[in-house]
Amino acid sequence: MSETTPDHDPPRVNEQKLTPAELKKRAKAEKQARRAAQKDQKPEEEGPPPAAEPANGINGESKTPQKNSSAPQQQQQQQQKPKAEKQQKAQQQKPGKQGAQEAEPHHKRTGSQQMPLRRRPSQSGAQPKAPVKTKKDNKQVELFSHLYTQPRRHTIEGVSKDVHPAVLALGFQISSYEICGSSARCVAMLLAFKEAIQEYTTPVGTSLARHLTSHYLSPQIDFLKSCRPISESMGNAIRWLKKLIVEIDPSTPEQEAKDELCERIDTFIRERITVTDQAIAASACQQIKNGSVVLTYAKSSIVEKTILEAHAKGTQFRVIVVDSRPLLEGKRQATTLMHAGLEVEYVPFSGIPHAVKHATVVLLGAHSMLSNGCLQSRIGTAAVAMHATKRDIPVIVCCESVKFSGKVALDSIVLNEVAPAEELLLPSKPTPSRPAPKDSSEDEAEAKPKTLEDWKDIPHLQLLNLMYDVTPAEYVRMVICEYGSLPPSSVPVVHRLANEGM
Amino acid sequence: MARSSGTPSDFNIVQTYRRLLAEDEELTMPVAAIEALIEGLANTPASTVSETLDLVQKLTAQLKQRIPNSISLSAGTDLFQQYLISNLQRPSDRGDFDQIRTHLVQNGKLFVERAKAARETIAGFGRHFIRDGDVVLTNGGSRVVGSLLRSAAESSNNRGSIRFKVIYVISPNKTAEEDESTANIAALRERDIPVATIPSTAVAYCIDQVTQCFVGAEGVVENGGIVSRMGTYQIGMLAKAAGRPFYVVSESHKFVRLYPINQHDLGIEQDVVDFKTSKGSVKDDGAADVRGGDDEGVADVEGTERSGTKGAISAPHEAVDYTPPHLISGIITESGVLLPSAVSEELIKIWF
Amino acid sequence: MPAATVGQTPSLTTFLKSLKTSSVESSIELLASLLKRRQIKNSRQCALATAQLLRRVVGAERIKDPQKLIDRIRDVGRRLVAAQPREMAVGNIVRRVLGVVREVVEEQLGDDGSGSSGPSTPTSPTSRAPKRPMISHTFSSFTPLSHGAAMPYDMHPRPGTPGSSSPSGVDRLADATAAARRPGLATSASYASIAPTNASLLSFLEHPLGRSPGATPPATSSPRMTPVQSSMELNKEKIDIKAEVIDGIKDLLDELEVVDSQIAESALDHIHSNETILTHTSSQTVQKFLATAARKRKFTVIHAEAYPNDHEATHATILNGGKKSTGDDDEVDDRWKPLTALGITVIMIPDTAVFALMSRINKVILAPHTVLANGSLLAAAGASTIALAAQAHRVPVVVLSGVYKLSPVYPFDTQELIEYGDPGKVVPFEEGEFMDKVDVVNPVYDWVDAELVSLYVTNLGGCAPSFLYRIVADHYRMEDVDLGAKSG
Repeated sequence: MSETTPDHDPPRVNEQKLTPAELKKRAKAEKQARRAAQKDQKPEEEGPPPAAEPANGINGESKTPQKNSSAPQQQQQQQQKPKAEKQQKAQQQKPGKQGAQEAEPHHKRTGSQQMPLRRRPSQSGAQPKAPVKTKKDNKQVELFSHLYTQPRRHTIEGVSKDVHPAVLALGFQISSYEICGSSARCVAMLLAFKEAIQEYTTPVGTSLARHLTSHYLSPQIDFLKSCRPISESMGNAIRWLKKLIVEIDPSTPEQEAKDELCERIDTFIRERITVTDQAIAASACQQIKNGSVVLTYAKSSIVEKTILEAHAKGTQFRVIVVDSRPLLEGKRQATTLMHAGLEVEYVPFSGIPHAVKHATVVLLGAHSMLSNGCLQSRIGTAAVAMHATKRDIPVIVCCESVKFSGKVALDSIVLNEVAPAEELLLPSKPTPSRPAPKDSSEDEAEAKPKTLEDWKDIPHLQLLNLMYDVTPAEYVRMVICEYGSLPPSSVPVVHRLANEGM
Repeated sequence: MARSSGTPSDFNIVQTYRRLLAEDEELTMPVAAIEALIEGLANTPASTVSETLDLVQKLTAQLKQRIPNSISLSAGTDLFQQYLISNLQRPSDRGDFDQIRTHLVQNGKLFVERAKAARETIAGFGRHFIRDGDVVLTNGGSRVVGSLLRSAAESSNNRGSIRFKVIYVISPNKTAEEDESTANIAALRERDIPVATIPSTAVAYCIDQVTQCFVGAEGVVENGGIVSRMGTYQIGMLAKAAGRPFYVVSESHKFVRLYPINQHDLGIEQDVVDFKTSKGSVKDDGAADVRGGDDEGVADVEGTERSGTKGAISAPHEAVDYTPPHLISGIITESGVLLPSAVSEELIKIWF
Repeated sequence: MPAATVGQTPSLTTFLKSLKTSSVESSIELLASLLKRRQIKNSRQCALATAQLLRRVVGAERIKDPQKLIDRIRDVGRRLVAAQPREMAVGNIVRRVLGVVREVVEEQLGDDGSGSSGPSTPTSPTSRAPKRPMISHTFSSFTPLSHGAAMPYDMHPRPGTPGSSSPSGVDRLADATAAARRPGLATSASYASIAPTNASLLSFLEHPLGRSPGATPPATSSPRMTPVQSSMELNKEKIDIKAEVIDGIKDLLDELEVVDSQIAESALDHIHSNETILTHTSSQTVQKFLATAARKRKFTVIHAEAYPNDHEATHATILNGGKKSTGDDDEVDDRWKPLTALGITVIMIPDTAVFALMSRINKVILAPHTVLANGSLLAAAGASTIALAAQAHRVPVVVLSGVYKLSPVYPFDTQELIEYGDPGKVVPFEEGEFMDKVDVVNPVYDWVDAELVSLYVTNLGGCAPSFLYRIVADHYRMEDVDLGAKSG
């Protein structure tokens, strides 16, 4: 990971010399991305205020609705503070907005005065930790301090000019969960890279094989990482791509090389993901028999595919979808299955004991399969697998080999991702009663007992929102990948075969 | 305490015991033992407290010596002895010796009735335990389990909606117990309860279909574990491994003050593990080799020479094993469902 | 909120207010309907309401025949339990009040029998008295045994907890005096959980029917109430039974009041510095327990939110402590500060993270909804995931439960005990199509097996799950276990 550097990086050079043209381009891309990101208005997308503010600054004048929608974001952090102070702050940030347009330093200063926010080092505005933040008690759970490397990026601010618009847009889609799921992110990344590669021109005096990876792809990857830590499948794909680029004969004409790369990417997507998914679904749906009760957790495209395929084959079975807060991915899956005409039962996470009572088979997707046979997947998966194992219900993981990893983990602490804690705030509660733009002004007076939105102002209170957990290998009965059905102990074998070419 | 030291009359306790069991197939071993002792008491004109106690002790010793598996019956004899001791040795103002003796001698039938009533009470609990759609596994041979299932079947017929199935573990040997199982199975099938019979080797195979297990017991021991027919232990282990409830069904008069620490500490001799070479069984001094701990237990409890009067149990269908309490979900007695941990207190209470 | 058309939202407070003014019968009706509509829920409130109602019922009764009183209480109990069978605390309180009545009656008999009309001690169900009236022992030849049986009873009910003794010192005293006064009468403690029966194994050989109906063989399935009845007719109204019983109920109410503080007394025995404690849902008992420990020690609390049924209450507890925002329940619920205000780091997590974090947790502390006689328990949904994950990581699970949550009911069918809540809490009803086509299930409680629990901490001290049967036996009369049974 490249962003392990401390926060005190000097601003990067290339940021200082933004040309107006570049700025314009960037603004456009950002607009595009933001529009996408705000489509579904989840609270979790709400970026930290300093990030949001300058974002408005760029195109705020022309896009008032966006400004409005960013108000609650700001409010969330500052709810406790008197309105006056807040307005003052907003004004203080105005220079910051301009600053963003000129170059970062000005904004950086303002931000550091006020904002309890850490900045990503590779970003232009590398600022020291804001004083407000340090004054307040730490909101990061100590046990997971290694995972709080940076807040998720939701804005264009400080992005390297090299980042291709397609990648830029993808980054925001990823950080807002619009593109979610290990495989989906991997495919989307490769497609974006394809576009980016097509627009690449090798500078004179160097070769594509040498330059493309380090100088062109790296910023793209770094940007994606800043939006959300990349998944194992993305890592595997990147590794594969880099190897591919290095192996390109320097004598190949540039366009030919690029075409070749794009073709290979298409093949990769097809072979490692699309076709694989079909193969896995075909194999896994044999595990669904007449009268089966299939239990799934959250959402996995491959599990969904498997279930739909079994349904298409005419197998009579029903599905129990267990779901969890805050992402509620299972509901989307349940909806899809419902539309397909399946008999679906939807159970909240707390209802697992109820769900496993009836289930005959548990189908799970994976974020990654670790080399010691453990399954890394959406947080809560381990509990589902544990309950199922306790009742001797087979737990079957469907996972493409591209998600197999060389890493090992004993628990869910080391390898994980901390999602923004704000996602845990209850979204449904405030929205129906008061429309979003309004509550920035009215809310403070109305709420007397503290609500969860105030959590940042309550000393000693922390919210922890982990993305994944690690299911011990003993809870996994079978892993279905394109190499067949395996015991979890064979994961490293397949990993070496598929991802390391051994 | 040798056999020859003789009871005053011709009374043969062992024969009596066997006769009682043969006469009434509903009779349990502890109750038969008590009945036998009462008969012995009636046949013997003991007139003092200490004489009576001596007599009972002697008869008990004889019985234990001659019957290969004395665990179950010793629950009865112990109970009886303890009753006498507590009643006769008390500085009594009212509990007069003759009165008690008469009470016992005259009420032999009553005890049998009580024992049977206890079984019926337990059977009545069956319907609480067996629910619609359940698949019950039992290893048969236990009268009380049989009546529990029958009563559940009857109530199921009454209620109409409750359907359950039974998996009966039977051993291939033709024994009296198997006849019992056969009768139970027939009775259940007659009541429209589907019954499957499996050999004990198939328990692990089908345990995932089972919702709960019921087993009988020859004796419920001090720590809440049970001594029961061979094969019960493994069912308990399998049920535990599969997370299925494992209930012991037993009348409380089968509680016995015995505390086995392992399988070889039952105080009886069983030639289950019989090493052989082509020259035959390695048995001469082999028993000690094979089951070292056993000898001491036998010596302590019975005070008898090993291969003398009392033949070791070699037939697998007569053999018993010990199921430790952590495998047992509950013990269904006529007084309700006990946790294994409650057994000890009950036994403590009658002894102190 | 269904049917909340009354000006004020019906709640425990409104019920207690109305109890003072309305008639007994309408109060019973009211409570039954409140229970039915879940407008009074959670064990404590149910227990309080039931105890108060029964005090009113007893107060209104003209007691000629104690058996009538018992029947009356049983009848009220049956109605309340039928209204909401899953709120076991209701039945528990009814049984304990029945126990009080029987005890008062027996004590009077005892005094009568021994000729020493000692001062009538205020009794509570915690003080155990003979199971059977003395008459059954006049001939019975088991007195020595009974002596023996009395011994474990004296030692056992409060296992190893001199510190947190019975609710009031009076009870212990009552215990002691009761035992001292009639040493020969204390019978063996019975233990069974579902059927009325005799206690000792020796009863098998006991004298036949003779003079003591109380010593009938255990096979009789009708509750043994005849002795109480018949004997009571002999000596009517020696003591003011009504006052005694009401005193007993008051003790019970006192117990309900102090139960959390008593449990909290042992907090320092269980929570050490720098530990990480996991808890779940919002429980006054757990919060007080943790707060007590927080006065002396610094530790970290990880709090799972119990979505979707209790997460709002959990959030409120974490954020605001025990002050209910409505201001309505203040009379019943104490206020307390949130743990964060005591300098304790509280990390709120969604329930999903329980397994992921379990490897770093030192202790799990749960509060049950009901504890069942075999040591298993019902708690807010999610508890079984927590307990299983704790077992997988070898983390001890400590369950804090007042004795009033302890039910003598044997869980024949755990499935039946689980309540299913409003699916609208999982999926908003606006999503009509989804609600129509998808079966949305929202269990409110989880059943947790006894083997997943390491320790119970009750207001009488700590005990292993395997010993709960004893505490049950100490608090409930066998003949009252089945409230539905027709009395003899």
